[in-house]
Amino acid sequence: MVDRVELGVLVVEDEPEVRDAIVRDLAPLGSVLRVESADDVPDAREALEELADDDVVVALVLVDHRLPGTTGVDFLVELDHTPSTRAVRKVLITGQADHQDTIKAVNQARLNHYIAKPWQPDELLAVVRSAVTDFIIATGVDPLPFVAHLDGPRLLEAMTHRGDR
Amino acid sequence: MTTPPTTSEPAKAARRTRPAIDRSQLGLALSAAWVVIALLVPWADLDPAGRRMLAIFGVAVVLWITEAIPLYATAVVIILAEIALVSDEAVWALPAGFDAPAYTTFYAALAHPVLMLFLGGFLLADGAAKFRLDRNLAGLLLAPFGTRPSALIAGLMAITALLSMFMSNTATTASMMAVVLPVVAGLSPDDPLRSSLALSVPVAANIGGLGTPVGTPPNAIALGRLSDDGIGIDFLTWMALAVPLVIIVLAVAWFYLIRAYPARTETVEIRLGGDFDRSRPARVLYLTFALTVVLWLSEPLHGIPSTVVGFVPVVFLLAFGVMNSDDLRQLNWHVLWLVGGGIALGSGVAATGLDRWLVGLIDWSDLPVAALTLVLVVFALVMSTVISNSATANLMIPIGVSLAASDAIAISPVLAAVLIAVACSLAMALPVSTPPNAIAHATGLIETRDLARVGTVVAAVGSALVVFLAPAVWQALGLVP
Repeated sequence: MVDRVELGVLVVEDEPEVRDAIVRDLAPLGSVLRVESADDVPDAREALEELADDDVVVALVLVDHRLPGTTGVDFLVELDHTPSTRAVRKVLITGQADHQDTIKAVNQARLNHYIAKPWQPDELLAVVRSAVTDFIIATGVDPLPFVAHLDGPRLLEAMTHRGDR
Repeated sequence: MTTPPTTSEPAKAARRTRPAIDRSQLGLALSAAWVVIALLVPWADLDPAGRRMLAIFGVAVVLWITEAIPLYATAVVIILAEIALVSDEAVWALPAGFDAPAYTTFYAALAHPVLMLFLGGFLLADGAAKFRLDRNLAGLLLAPFGTRPSALIAGLMAITALLSMFMSNTATTASMMAVVLPVVAGLSPDDPLRSSLALSVPVAANIGGLGTPVGTPPNAIALGRLSDDGIGIDFLTWMALAVPLVIIVLAVAWFYLIRAYPARTETVEIRLGGDFDRSRPARVLYLTFALTVVLWLSEPLHGIPSTVVGFVPVVFLLAFGVMNSDDLRQLNWHVLWLVGGGIALGSGVAATGLDRWLVGLIDWSDLPVAALTLVLVVFALVMSTVISNSATANLMIPIGVSLAASDAIAISPVLAAVLIAVACSLAMALPVSTPPNAIAHATGLIETRDLARVGTVVAAVGSALVVFLAPAVWQALGLVP
């Protein structure tokens, strides 16, 4: 039998207070998702490597657009063009992305969701639940351990082809 | 790099903890040790072919219990081992005088007529899911039960059981639980109705699987073994044996659930189903489904075996494009192969005489018939509570049928096979007992002890019925010899 897969969420945000707020808002999912954070893109790349070393499959990245150095949108495009991270769900959480940045994120990084700052904690949780559920269904991760914590009905729908044993 | 939230740390630590001995290493080591023991010990009265089969049988026991490799992988290990060790193509020559079975008989297990029956059932069930026939039918049938919690649970259980007679218990549970979850979310967190709703679906799906030959794999394993002995049981006879049992056990489980988890709310509503798909492929599916079921049930009139009828939906659904190559790829082939491995194990055990030797190890003549059936049922119950129902049936049915076929004991092979298959489906006391239980447990709405309680009620009532009452009734009605 395959060991259960551990899924992770990566938060990339340069302002410490904002980053802590996002991480705190995601705490209700802490028992099923490993939440890691990074303060800029190089730090984020390092975090991805560390998660991979720990056999954590990254399901979702939540990035702010305006970061020191490489922008959040450019990081999303980079993820989308890298085979190992292509399936990762991508959410932009920002107040400062202009029209052009947003269009680039949608067209070149297949952005899954845009959250405008300031965000509502419930909205953020709902977006993360839905996006990680999409990731599980799309990639064939065993949905069972996540039924109680993410979008249960949709995860169950994904199991309606299963046979008895 | 900042620290992750503290909540993920304990979870992480718990996940990292591995048992001291890896289960797959243990399984493989035990298998290897058993092969050596089986082949080297000078077993009295067991010829070389029987010894080799004893080695294979023991490996099957170890691998299916430990799941060192996937269940279906063990099935193909058995087939290859039988071909290599006890067939006419054995790589290590068997002594002259042993009438080795043709190697093709072991391959043929993968296309056994009973598997063709199952293939038809699988394709119909997947077709029903594809066009949402299951959901729409459930909505239609659930409406008359109203909104009183106890009536709604009765309706939910009846419909879940009905669907799982034709679809896999697992798929039925996933599909019905997807409907139950939003309802539960609307209830007050301390309402016991949450638990009874979450328990009613897996329990009904597990029990419902008993109802027809295509309901769940142990039924196929029983029918396959019996048909290899030249005993055919038609669809209607199986249903006549099993459906009354399903109804009684369901009723008891329902009564237990509404008593043990009294609802605090007066009304509850399940929204389910919608408009039936009226597209051409959907209509072909409905007609094919109806035609197949009618043909299955009318076998006494036309005499076409259910295993032949079972291939009709395969042809219709593929020829009319209702199901395509993607649907075909999604079928649970591994379940068919698991059953096929069990059938191959049964034929190998019979061809080498290992079954007679195993049966002969115990002097059964001192044992009253009721005690023997009790032992068979309890053993199957306990085993399939912990390991896969199909694996239990695969291991127990060949031996049980041979025991019944021998002069040692006065029960019929049909009764032995049916009792073991029934017992496999009655085992549901733990989250690991069946995939429906695992799904219900994963919703977080119920605890292991909830499953243990209702599972014990079902197992106790069900096994008392099949041991003490059912055989006499079945015999009186002429359903079993």
